[in-house]
Amino acid sequence: MPASSEASITLAGDLHARPAGSLAIAAAKFESSIELTAAGHSADAKSVLSVMGIGATSGQVVTVRATGPDAAEAVAAITGILADATKVGS
Amino acid sequence: MIDAGRVGIVLVSHSAALAAGTAELAGQVGGGEVVIVPAGGTDDGRLGTSIDKIRYALAAADNGAGVVVLPDLGSSVLTLRALLADGTDLPEPLAVADAPFLEGAVAATVAAAAGGDVKAVVSAAEEAWHARKL
Repeated sequence: MPASSEASITLAGDLHARPAGSLAIAAAKFESSIELTAAGHSADAKSVLSVMGIGATSGQVVTVRATGPDAAEAVAAITGILADATKVGS
Repeated sequence: MIDAGRVGIVLVSHSAALAAGTAELAGQVGGGEVVIVPAGGTDDGRLGTSIDKIRYALAAADNGAGVVVLPDLGSSVLTLRALLADGTDLPEPLAVADAPFLEGAVAATVAAAAGGDVKAVVSAAEEAWHARKL
């Protein structure tokens, strides 16, 4: 059974187009499948349009769930990007 | 930093401003790591398409990893087809993505920035048909 990992983060700012791009580029480097969920909407983290489509905004909780051989690293990397990229002023 | 190993992207539009603006936005979402060359308008700056502009853009976008082209509508597709049918001095591999112009350009750029090959970049662009924004 493949490993899975999950973590949640509260966004400090809106998930704009540019951070969505950085997130999708980073997600593509992992073998695991990575799903983002916010306010009942889910997205494939490797698809920039899907990530923008969930419309996650400041103060919302985003859950990152990865399944695959590098699931723990993937969740750590993606939550790190969500924390950095949505900082106010970025 | 432009990486020589990445697929290049050409945006063919009737409008030079539309092609350039789409390239600007897609480039920013993609982190500036991909060569995106706009080919918009006629040779004398009117709305329309130019086979020469597309030919130059294909050469400029080619880093050795291949090129993916997105046409906007109508004669962009026809002019591109005429150029591909002519077939000389084209990048290899070269593929045309059948996708919504802006969304496809953004998705293609992100896929190229992530190191995807021509096939992966085309499928990312074409997935844009299914991406909801609301």
